[in-house]
Amino acid sequence: MQYKSQAVAKPYFIAAIGLFIGQIVFGLIMGLQYVIGDFLFPEIPFNVARMVHTNLLIVWLLFGFMGAAYYMVPEESETELYSPKLAIALFWIFLTAGALTVLGYLFVPYATLAQMTGNDLLATMGREFLEQPLPTKLGIVVVALAFLFNITMTVLKGRKTAISTVLLLGLWGLAIFFLFSFYNPHNLVKDKYYWWWVVHLWVEGVWELILGALLAFVLIKVTGVDREVIEKWLYVIITLTLITGIIGTGHHYYWIGAPEYWQWWGSIFSALEPIPFFAMTVFAFNMVNRRRREHPNKAAVLWALGTGVMAFLGAGVWGFLHTLAPVNYYTHGSQITAAHGHMAFYGAYVMVVLCIISYAMPILRGRAANSNKAQVCEMWSFWLMTVAMVFITLFLTAAGILQVWLQRVSDTPMSFMATQDQVALFYWMREWAGVMFFVGLIVYVISFFIKGETKAATQ
Amino acid sequence: MTSHALPLPNSTEPRLAGDLAIWFFIMAELLAFAVFFAAYAFTRAAHVEEFNLAQQALNRNAGAINTLLLLTGSAFVVRAVQGALAGEARRAAPWMLAAIASGVTFLVVKMVEYSAAFDHGVSLSSSTFDMFYLSLTFFHFMHVILGLVILSVLWLGLRAGRYGPHNMNGLESGAAYWHMVDLLWLILFPLVYVIH
Amino acid sequence: MSGIFTKSMARNIFYGGTVFFFLLFLALTFDSHKEFPKRDNSQNLTPQVIAGKKIWETRNCIGCHTLLGEGAYFAPELGNVYPRRGPEFIKAWIQSQPTGTPGRRQMPQFHLSDEELDNIVAFLKYTSEINTANWPPNIEG
Repeated sequence: MQYKSQAVAKPYFIAAIGLFIGQIVFGLIMGLQYVIGDFLFPEIPFNVARMVHTNLLIVWLLFGFMGAAYYMVPEESETELYSPKLAIALFWIFLTAGALTVLGYLFVPYATLAQMTGNDLLATMGREFLEQPLPTKLGIVVVALAFLFNITMTVLKGRKTAISTVLLLGLWGLAIFFLFSFYNPHNLVKDKYYWWWVVHLWVEGVWELILGALLAFVLIKVTGVDREVIEKWLYVIITLTLITGIIGTGHHYYWIGAPEYWQWWGSIFSALEPIPFFAMTVFAFNMVNRRRREHPNKAAVLWALGTGVMAFLGAGVWGFLHTLAPVNYYTHGSQITAAHGHMAFYGAYVMVVLCIISYAMPILRGRAANSNKAQVCEMWSFWLMTVAMVFITLFLTAAGILQVWLQRVSDTPMSFMATQDQVALFYWMREWAGVMFFVGLIVYVISFFIKGETKAATQ
Repeated sequence: MTSHALPLPNSTEPRLAGDLAIWFFIMAELLAFAVFFAAYAFTRAAHVEEFNLAQQALNRNAGAINTLLLLTGSAFVVRAVQGALAGEARRAAPWMLAAIASGVTFLVVKMVEYSAAFDHGVSLSSSTFDMFYLSLTFFHFMHVILGLVILSVLWLGLRAGRYGPHNMNGLESGAAYWHMVDLLWLILFPLVYVIH
Repeated sequence: MSGIFTKSMARNIFYGGTVFFFLLFLALTFDSHKEFPKRDNSQNLTPQVIAGKKIWETRNCIGCHTLLGEGAYFAPELGNVYPRRGPEFIKAWIQSQPTGTPGRRQMPQFHLSDEELDNIVAFLKYTSEINTANWPPNIEG
C-alpha cells in the first residue's frame, strides 16, 4: 500500500462482501418461492424478499464503488486522502442506514414504514429499486455528496489522471441521476419515463464509467502496460458506451405510453450497445496479452478478464436478444428480462467490484498477492459463481421463451399463473444453479482465510 | 486530399489523416446512421405508396441548395487544410470561415424548411414517413451544429497559427468529421428526398 | 499504415460526444412531453386515481406484479387487469387474500377499506387506458 489512507477501503470491501452474502440468501428464498409459493409466507412475502435482494445488491455495489474509489484515488492522485476520518464516519453512517432500512423492510409492514418515514410529505416509495424510505434516500444523497467531496478534494490536490477523472464523472453522475428518484409525478407515464433516468442512466450510463475506470486501474497494475495506452482506450470505450447508451434509454419507452418513435430510436441505438461491451472484452484481453510483467495476483487478472467476457454476454448479447421493439413486444416483462438482468449485473458490476477487491485486498493486508493456495481457492469460487450464473441465465431464458410462447404468442394464450406452472421445471433448475452460486460465494469467503507462503507487498 | 500530408523524412508509408480516435467516433456515427438508413429503406419497401406520396410534399429545392452548401463547405475545409499544410495557417483561416458560413447557411435553409413543415403539422408522431424524415434530418442537423462548433475551434486555431506541417492532427481530425457530416447528407438527401 | 492516436483527442471526443448525445436525448424528451397528453390518459387523472396510485406504491405491489411490463415477474401483469377482470372481481380478489392454498403463491392481506379498494380500482382503470402501442399482445398480459 503506497498511501496510509488507502486503508479506509478495507471496511468498505468487507461490508460489500457481507451484504453480497445477504443478497444471495434472499435470492435463494425468492427462487424457492417461485416453485413453493407459500414458502416463508406470511413472514417474508415475495415482495419483501425481492426488495431486500435488489436493494442489497445496489448498496453492496455502492460500498464496492466507494471502497474502490478510496483505494484508487490516493494512488492515482499520488497524495493521501483528503479526510480518512470522514471516510470512516461515512462508512458507519451508510452501513447503519442500510441495515436499518433492511430491518424496516423485514419487520415493519411496508405501508406502515411509509407512514412512519414521511412518505406522506413526499411520496417516493413503492417504485421498483427505489423502495427506500425518504430518510434513506436523503441519507444516500448526503453520504454520496460527502463522499464526493472527499474524493474530489483529493483529486484536486494531487495528480489528475484520466482514470480518476472518469471515475469522478461516473460517481458524480451516479449522485446526480439519483436525484430523479425524488421526482414521482402522479402521471404514471411521466413517473416511468423519469424513473428510467435513475435506473437506465445508472446501469447503462454513469456506472459504466465507474466500471471502465476500475477495470483500467487494475489492468495498469497487473499488466504493466503504459498508462497512456490504457487511458486512451478507456476514453474510446466510454465514448462508445455513452453515445449508444444515452439514446438507448429509448428501449424502455416502447410500451409505457411514450411516443412511438422511441421504438425506432430505442431499437437503433440499443442495437449498438453491445459494441462498447465487445470493445471492453477485446481491450481487457489485449492488455493482458501485451503485459510487461507477471503479476503474482493471478486471481485479479482472472476477474478482470471475466468481467470483460461476462459483461459482454450478459449486457451485450442478452440485452440485444430482446432489445428490438418487435421482439420486445413479446418479451417485455417476462423471465427473459430477468435472465438478462441477472447476467448483466453479475458480469458488469459484481465481477468488476470483486476484481478490484481481489487486487486491493491482499495489498491492504500487507502482501502483493495472496498465497498460491488462497488464489486457487478464489479461482474456484470464480468458476463456480460464473458457471452458476451462466446456468441461471440459461434456465431463466428457457423459462422466458416458454412463457412468452404459451402466454403471448399462442393462439389460445394461457393465463399468467397457468403459464408459471408450465415452466416450473426451469425454476427448479434455476434454484439449483442458485445453490451452486451460493457454494461459490462461500468458497470465495473461505479464500480470504487461507494462509500460506506470501510475498511482502512491494508497492 | 491529405495523402501527401506531413512529409516525414524517411517515410513513404501511407498515413491516416487525423487521429485514430476520431475515426472510431466517425465509424460509430456512420454505423448509427447506416442502421437508421436501413430501417428507413425496409420500412419504405413495405409502404411504398404512402412514402412516395409523402415525399412529394418535401421541399426538394431546399434539399438541393443544402447539398451544394455542404459540398462547397467541404471544399473550403480542404483549402484550409492544404493552406495549413503549406505552412500558411493564418492565410488559410478565411477558407475555414467560408466553410463555417456555408454550414450556417445550411442551418438557416433547413430551419426555413422545418418551419414550413411544422406549419403543415409534420411531427415525429404524425406519420411513419414524417418520423423518418424528421429523425434523420434532425439527427443530421445536430451533427452540422457539432461540426460547426468544431470548425470554429479550428478557425480560431488557424488564426492563432497553431497548425502547420508538423501539427496537423487536430485540424485533420476536425476536417475528417466535417467531411463525414457532408457525406451523410449526400446519402440522406437522395434517400429521403429524391429516390422514388 | 501509420497513424496518430492521442489521449487528448480521445478525451475531447468523449466530452463532445457525450454532450451531443445528451442534448439529443433532451430534445427527444422535450418532444415526448409535447406528445404525452395525447397518450397518457392524464385527462382522467382524478384525485381518486392519484389516491389509488399511492396505495399501489405503499403496498409495494410492484414487488410481485408488473405494471405495463415493469416490476417483478412473480405475479400477473396489472396494466390491463381492469379490462381482463373488471372492478368487482379485482376488489373481491384483494379482499380474499391470502388464499392459503398449500404450495401456491400467496398475496398478503392489506386490509384496505372500501374507499381504498375503489381508489386502487380507479388507478388500474386509468392505467389500462394509457396508450401503450397495443402492449401487451393479448389480454393475459
